[in-house]
Amino acid sequence: MSAPIKPGLAADALLALLAPLGGVRDEADRWGLTVRVDRERLRQALTLLRDGADARFDQLLDVCGIDYLSYPDWRDPRFAVSYPLKSTVFRHRLTLKVLVEEDDVAVPSVHDLYASANWAERECWDQVGIVFQGHPNLKRLLNHHEFVGHPLRKDYPCQKRQKLSVNDPMIDQLTAKLIALGYQVLEAPVATAGLPLTTHGPIKETVS
Amino acid sequence: MTYQPVPAAAAVPEVSLGDAFVTTSVDAVVNWARRNSLWPFPFGTACCAIEFMGMVSSHFDVSRFGAELVRFSPRQADLLIIAGTVTYKQAPVLRRIYDQMLEPKWVISAGACATSGGFYDCYCTVPGIDEIIPVDVYIAGCPPRPEAFLEAIVQLQGRIDRESRKERALMGTPA
Repeated sequence: MSAPIKPGLAADALLALLAPLGGVRDEADRWGLTVRVDRERLRQALTLLRDGADARFDQLLDVCGIDYLSYPDWRDPRFAVSYPLKSTVFRHRLTLKVLVEEDDVAVPSVHDLYASANWAERECWDQVGIVFQGHPNLKRLLNHHEFVGHPLRKDYPCQKRQKLSVNDPMIDQLTAKLIALGYQVLEAPVATAGLPLTTHGPIKETVS
Repeated sequence: MTYQPVPAAAAVPEVSLGDAFVTTSVDAVVNWARRNSLWPFPFGTACCAIEFMGMVSSHFDVSRFGAELVRFSPRQADLLIIAGTVTYKQAPVLRRIYDQMLEPKWVISAGACATSGGFYDCYCTVPGIDEIIPVDVYIAGCPPRPEAFLEAIVQLQGRIDRESRKERALMGTPA
């Protein structure tokens, strides 16, 4: 099955482009074009797709982690990372997919190829627990900093709640950026971090 | 039935001094002032906050009940309205805002999410803000209509009316 992708390159041409890097079409994707590559070739493939004259995939839409733990009849590695790409030049799309083994859950970071990958990879690390090697600031994005585990893994009990006792100011990146822009940051960020917060401590009842 | 004048010696100031005096209890006056000038702090995190805006705006007009002065500083507000989903990441923030409000203060939990977590029965959502702060009035609905917000305020006014300084002092709450 080779669905034509208009008006950019046809699927066959894109597959031919990735073939030297070991790119194989993922037949499970019946509507779009998904190509599997090895994680060793991931950065090479993304660079080719971004800069290739006929490809010009200039947008990385997301970085999705997939856990195939409970997927029926699945014999491949447990995890996968998928990179949906879009070209605003040719308006064609392609998804790059990398399979990752459970005992070595790591892929190279692509934050220097696509700026959008920075936070997308942080989210993927936070929710699925994929390690992105070379990421400048691989910390949780959605869950709080006291969270243990990765909630979108299929073996995480989805109703297991984790309380946060100390707030996270979350503006470390902003502070760094302001300093880089030449602003003089007089004080540390309005730090609620470090202050003891009685989030779930005993409280006085309001009389009614 | 014949008219019988009240004896002038009766110990009621209205009788001897005329309309210049009204006798009442301190609780009644204080509660009257508090209930009719609630200053809400909206903690709006989801669609319930849109309904809150509807309640404040001219069509439903909460100023008919004296609660139109919306404050965005907890130090200036005495009514905390949580309108929307609260996650565990936000929980310390909400608790901090509640702690920063001065007594007397009241809390309205608006909508399914603030009351019970709503349909977010998952790892990240607080299953009801009463896990973090005390709540006076709950509003049902997803989201509740502005009329429901108004009814919550009227209910809360009724509760404020029944408060007493002595009781608050006994509970250790500043009167």
